[in-house]
Amino acid sequence: MRAIRAQNLSKTYSFYEKEKGIKGSLRGLFRRRKVLVEAVKEIDLDIGVGEVVGFIGPNGAGKTTTLKMLSGILYPSGGQLEVLGFIPFKREKAFLKNITLVSGQRSRLFWDLPAEDYLSFLKVVYEIPEDVYRQNLQSLVRLAEIGEILRVPQRKLSVGQRRRCELVAALIHDPKVIFLDEPTNAIDLMNARKIRQFIKERGKEGRYCIVLTSHHMADIEQVCERLIIINRGRIVYDGRTQDLTRLNGLNKQMRAVLQDPFAVEHVGRLGKIIEKNGQEILLEVEPHRAASVASELLANFSVKDISIMDPPLEKIIESIYEGRRPG
Amino acid sequence: MWHHLKIFGLFVKIGLMRQMAYRPHFFMMVAGKIIRIGLLFFFFQAVFLKVDRIGQWTFDQVLLLFATFHMVDFVMSITFQRNLSFHLPRLIQSGELDSRMILPANLLFFSSFEGVDLMDFFSFLPSLGFLGYVFYRIGFHFSWYQVTAYVVLLINALVLLFAMVLMISTVSFWTTQSYGMARIFDNLLKIGRYPLDIFWGFWKIVFVYFLPLVLVAQIPTQALLQTPSLKLIFFAFGVTFVFLILSLRFWKAGLKNYLSAST
Repeated sequence: MRAIRAQNLSKTYSFYEKEKGIKGSLRGLFRRRKVLVEAVKEIDLDIGVGEVVGFIGPNGAGKTTTLKMLSGILYPSGGQLEVLGFIPFKREKAFLKNITLVSGQRSRLFWDLPAEDYLSFLKVVYEIPEDVYRQNLQSLVRLAEIGEILRVPQRKLSVGQRRRCELVAALIHDPKVIFLDEPTNAIDLMNARKIRQFIKERGKEGRYCIVLTSHHMADIEQVCERLIIINRGRIVYDGRTQDLTRLNGLNKQMRAVLQDPFAVEHVGRLGKIIEKNGQEILLEVEPHRAASVASELLANFSVKDISIMDPPLEKIIESIYEGRRPG
Repeated sequence: MWHHLKIFGLFVKIGLMRQMAYRPHFFMMVAGKIIRIGLLFFFFQAVFLKVDRIGQWTFDQVLLLFATFHMVDFVMSITFQRNLSFHLPRLIQSGELDSRMILPANLLFFSSFEGVDLMDFFSFLPSLGFLGYVFYRIGFHFSWYQVTAYVVLLINALVLLFAMVLMISTVSFWTTQSYGMARIFDNLLKIGRYPLDIFWGFWKIVFVYFLPLVLVAQIPTQALLQTPSLKLIFFAFGVTFVFLILSLRFWKAGLKNYLSAST
């Protein structure tokens, strides 16, 4: 079943440029220059229910703008868009009851009050029956591990704890389409892991369509099977996350720990050394040479440990921006 | 409708819970309101002792106009005005409107009534008390028709003010700031508490037809003092209807233009 369909979806922002300084501010009162910025340029999306999709790209690529159009916050400048058969910008009640958006940068919880109060508020706003509310609350609180902080005012919680409360609040009405905009942004590793696990568990159920944007590659690699990469408002990749590792011409990485520290210099002729730390080296080698380089290392040097890895996702994305395609 | 009434009840409850989250602040707020009630009482007592008549209006009529204006202004200020004039532009500027836009409730209702402070209703009591005092002085000799017209025209005045405030705050969607306009409107609104007889010519036309502040308190007051004509009542409804339609269109256009804020 299809959850999201977009054709030629575009968004152009217009704003007035301001010159620097007080003189510029004064001049701006009488004469301003209008600037148009194409944040999203004619993108197509087709995402089904049950998919967990990573939506990534550098800063200003158009990720958040796209999510805001999908959730009905922003009015598209062009193209067609449907989410669960609704036109998002009409913001019909049935549509809003079936979607949610979590922003890692902003909290919508009541700052002075505990999460429990906000959740009770949402129960009324979303018209959730008492028994369903209790059931959802119980399972989400367990999953997000917020049982102990449910009655603590938000201002007393850490960013990570607040973010987990936020996730529970966003899912309390059991939405079918979940938009997560950098949910692990600015939080510690332990909380990020918990949130990742939370999303993963939710995704496994197969009843939801989850679209996740993140700067943390671990979020994408561990949670999303499908990946969409957007750059300068255009989609540059849409496919399986694991297929990205088979990009044409992208080198493998080989980590080796040698017995002899002086041997490190000689290993350099086998490939490009990109990191050196005592007896440990990180080599970059062409994919077709990876096996032979490993054999040569094992045959000619005293190797304590060796591993061959796919390039990190950051590198892969970089190469897509450079114009390479999966082979 | 029931759904939104329940949400309104929650707004009131949450406002009270927030005030009580800081106990010393809560008690100081109560004390502040009581002091304000006392000052209001002394102010009107002083006016009553020094002034006998203003323009064509007798002192009792001026008091009724003033009390009526104060009540309308008060209801407006504790409900939609503070939300639309000050809170909404902040939400638009910071992009926090996003989180309200994804909730399955009418966004205009949310934006108009989100911050309701139950403590403010304490300040409403002296306004009501003052109105009761003026009615006592006048002698309560009104017909049912006059009283009904008065109440209906007061509700009409609130709807008109809602439309005006909405139009001004909607400007924030384009300019991300509308405090200046809200302040100008606030000051202009105060004109509504004076008898229109103090204006003539151009300004009289402006305050009757273009910025119909005459509808806020003067027409309801006149309706109570003299039997109002149907023509006057229809004029009031007509003006409010036009302003309401225009403001809703403006609101819709504003939403289309909403840019949110970068994260």
